[in-house]
Parts: sequence; C-alpha cells; structure tokens
Amino acid sequence: MENVYQTQKARIVSINRESLDTMLFRFKFVDKKLQRNFAYLSGQFMQIGLASWGECPISICSSPSDGKEFFELAIRDVGPLTHKLNSLGVGDVADVRGPYGNGFDVDKFIDKPLVIIGGGCGFVPLRPLIIDYVNGRIKNNKLQIFYGCLNEQTLLFKKEHPLWNRNSEFVISLEKPSDKWKGEKGLITASIIKRDIDPKSVVVIVGPPVMYKFVIAELLKKKIKPENIYVSLERKMYCGKGVCQHCAIGPYYVCKDGPVFCWKNIKDIPGAL
Amino acid sequence: MNDKKLKTFLAGVFDDFKVFAPAKNDGKLVVGEVAKAEEIDWSGQMPVNPWKKVFLPSEERLFSANGDKLVENKNIYPKVVALGVNVLDLRAFTLLERVFADDVYYQKRRRNTVVVGYSPDWPIDYKKYKVFSHNFENEILEHLLFDVFIAKLKNNNFAFYSGSIEGQKLLEKYNISDYKNIEYIGSTPKTSVDRKMLQLQEKVAKSADKRIWNELAKICLACGKCSIVCPTCFCFDLEDKVDPENPGRIRKWGNCFYNDFSRVAGGYKPLDDVKQKIYFWYVHKFVRIPREYKMPGCVSCGRCSKVCPVGINIGKVIQNISKIK
Repeated sequence: MENVYQTQKARIVSINRESLDTMLFRFKFVDKKLQRNFAYLSGQFMQIGLASWGECPISICSSPSDGKEFFELAIRDVGPLTHKLNSLGVGDVADVRGPYGNGFDVDKFIDKPLVIIGGGCGFVPLRPLIIDYVNGRIKNNKLQIFYGCLNEQTLLFKKEHPLWNRNSEFVISLEKPSDKWKGEKGLITASIIKRDIDPKSVVVIVGPPVMYKFVIAELLKKKIKPENIYVSLERKMYCGKGVCQHCAIGPYYVCKDGPVFCWKNIKDIPGAL
Repeated sequence: MNDKKLKTFLAGVFDDFKVFAPAKNDGKLVVGEVAKAEEIDWSGQMPVNPWKKVFLPSEERLFSANGDKLVENKNIYPKVVALGVNVLDLRAFTLLERVFADDVYYQKRRRNTVVVGYSPDWPIDYKKYKVFSHNFENEILEHLLFDVFIAKLKNNNFAFYSGSIEGQKLLEKYNISDYKNIEYIGSTPKTSVDRKMLQLQEKVAKSADKRIWNELAKICLACGKCSIVCPTCFCFDLEDKVDPENPGRIRKWGNCFYNDFSRVAGGYKPLDDVKQKIYFWYVHKFVRIPREYKMPGCVSCGRCSKVCPVGINIGKVIQNISKIK
C-alpha cells in the first residue's frame, strides 16, 4: 500500500528573489523518472517541507506545459518553515508531495474573455494561467489582468510584466506606493470599477479574504455571471486529501474539492470567503 | 459469564492478544486494556471514552528523520483485540474503516487488530440507545464492519457471528463452529435511503444563520471535550518533532475547537469565534460525513452530552434543528 504522506526529494535548480519576502524557486525531482512523469494543472498545489520543519501547501506557479521539466513555487517568508525554505540555495533539496487539488478547469474558459484579478501573494496561483495565455495555450480572445499590491517592493514576477503588458490589458494598483510610482494608487476595486469588462467574461480572483467581497460585488454590477466567477481559497491543511478536516468549508474540502471553486457553488456557505 | 463457548473464546483471546474492553474504573465504564476476563463489563452500556485510540492513537510517528531524509517509521503494531464493542461504537468503527481505507499506518495497525462486537440483548432492543441521528435498521449486523460479533440471547446463551475471514479463522481456532457468517452490504440499506439522515443533512447545511448557533455560542466554552470523546471525531494535525534525539513527523489528534485549528500563516483564522467552531463541528457530523460516506457522522452515543461542562445535549440540539422551518 502506498504511503500517501511519503514525500519525494526535489532539488532547487534556480532561485529568483521576487520581492522583499518572496522567492521564486524552480525545482526538479531528484528522481528523474518522477520528473518525466510529473503532471499538474494550473491552480493545483504542492505540499513542501523539510524534515523537522513541517510541511505547508504552496501553489504551483509554473505552466503545466513545463511539468516534465520542472515546477516552480513562489514562497513567501511568513513563518518558521517558509523562512527556512527561503534561506535555501541552488542545489539544496526539499521534501515535496503532490500535486493536490482540482486546479482551474480551463476548458470552461474557452472562447470567453478572461479576467484575472489577484491581490498580494494571492497572485501566485494565477501566473500559470497568464503564461499559458501569453503562449497561446489558453484560447481566449482577450485577457485583462488586475493586480493589487501594497507597494513596489511586494510586486511579484516583475521581470514578466513587460511581456504580460504587451499581451493583455494589465493594470497594477498599489495601496502605498513610493512617490515615484506613476501607475494607479489605491485598492484594486477602484481600478476594476473604472474599466469595461465584457459581461461574458470568465473572472478568476485570488487574494486575501477581504478582497473577494468587494471585488465580486463590483463584478456583479458589471453583469458578470456568478457561474463565470472563480476563486482559489487558502486554508490550513495537513493531509492534502480531505481527511484531516482543517481546510473544510461547509460540505467541501479546499484541498480536494478546491482550492478552485466556482463562486456560485460556495457563495452561500458561511465563512467560505 | 458461565457460557462454555464464551469462556473458551475469552481464554483464547487473552492468550493471543492484548485485550481492550470496557471495564469499571472508579465507578465509571472505561475502555482500556484489561488483564483478565473477570474485569470486563458486559452490561452493553456506553463507556465514557470511545474506542478510537485503539485504531488511531492520540499520537503516532509517521516518519523518522534520518539527516534530511524522512523514512517511514517502522511502528510496532501489537496484536490487539477490541472486545465488547457495542453496535453504536461499531458504527463509528465502520466509518473509521472507510475514512482511513488508504492510510498505510491505520491499515497496518488494523491488520493486527481484531474487532469483537457485543450486544447484551439480542435481537437488539435498540430503543435503549435512544438513537436520534439516523434510522436504525433491524438487520443491523449487515451494515457494520467487525471480525466477530457476540450476542447474548434472551435464553442467556450466546450466539457468535463472523464478519470477516479473520473472524472466521479466530472462531475456528477457538473451536467455535456454530457461528453465522454475516456479509457486509454497506453502511446503509441499498433499497432505501436513510431519510432521517438526509433530512438532517439538509437542515444543518441550511441553518448557518439560525438563532440556535448564537444561543449555543453563548454557552459553549469551546473546550473541545466533545470532540475528544466523540467516536467519529478523527481529525488530525501533522507535526514535526524538533527532538534532536529522535526527530521525525508525527500525526496527532486535532480538535476543531482549538484556536489554531484553522489558522493560516499570517494569522487569518476562518474559524474565529465559538459560533463558527460549533457549527463547523455539527457540519462535519451531519453534512460532510453523510455526503462523503453515505452514513451518519453521529452514532448517537451521547458521550459529548455527558462531558459537556455547560450541558449542551446533542440530542436536543438535533431535535431543535429538525424543527427549524
């Protein structure tokens, strides 16, 4: 019988400092065969840990098309384990298991304008969707990206922004930018209000809990259909397979039935958002 | 207990296994390890503690850390018999079997564990258990998992049943040949859904904004005792031991009433007040478990009501929820 908690060794092959507290790691499984057979979907996550430091769930932020070569995790330093992980260097190894969760059902996005709204480090699981759109793997006729962040220092994936900007309507709004910032200031909701969004759009939102309520209210005013709004939720998790109960919301498990949910299906579950 | 067959059976299991059974301890009926058959209580009453620690220890090592390598721990699983499990507790055990079906640690332990159910009056007078959470079928044994079941009949004789090949082997080994094989046909009858369970599932799912939860939250201390004694509360935490002598990854019982249960990095807690916590507990029992396993997540044992320091009675809560329009 397979041990569902057994981790595999993955080696860091490159690191990019994304922000003051977030590093982007590219991992390859030490076991080459594992890497060759590795497959995941946008929106799925891995459990990553270190012996004696525990495990935590982290969204995969590379494109599924790179799965046979590597997978990338953007890790924010928010606790002892992530602090330790962020101190690792190229060549170091970590223990991973996964992928877990349902991921985005991109088939449902086909032929609809795509709107991506991310807040803070909630932007991490959205990156694979953008990469796949830019590379023509998600067939949509239009992409709008709204990225809300605290300041310039906390913006992620800055190197890729010029490319994204060429391929989409890309809006960044910073809450507390420096004096040099020429872009939009304030909450992302304000940027959304100002712009036209096609009512036929599929909208994917990931961010801090407080963001969902305000953003979704604006989207509904713009006549976006509840069944076209998707969110990806963050919860405490241990097992990753719907047993340990920590991530439960109403009848669902964020680790197994999520982390991606159609808003229509969870809007009436108290405490889900 | 003068029945000859039972005596042979008991002599056999005490020779072959570590025996866990209900026994009187300071006037309370407690499930624990017993040294001899005379200690066992055969009243069929509900022990104060559940059997779950026999199948899911409160703390168990999953991996040992060897340098930076996590190696599956070679736990020792002694041969254990859970002896005298009543029908409601067998229902809880049946649920655990399903929940941990692909859990290698649970299954290894289970392979060395024999489960012996028991009823003091057969055919069962289930009314005495005051079941409120589901319908109780007449052909109850077919819906329960066990290895051996012993029933005390009205004429004071004992009838033996086997529920698995291991159970059959054991009975044969102890020279009990007139047993009946019971074939498990699922936790609920195939022909009819448990309407009571489904009604409760819907009522609880839709009751989040009802006053009952505010009222319970006013008195509930979120102490978590109900969860500790509940035979179907199986949630757990994984934790790494920072013990330099013996580092590794352990699994231990979780408790959804405890403060850090839902806390994510950065401090956000989806379950942040007593109302959310107590509702979460009921949703697990009456919504999630029925949805996933098509069986009730509460077996009506009443243990939680007995330990609750502020007198919350699950039977009454369920009665009140049923009345919500």
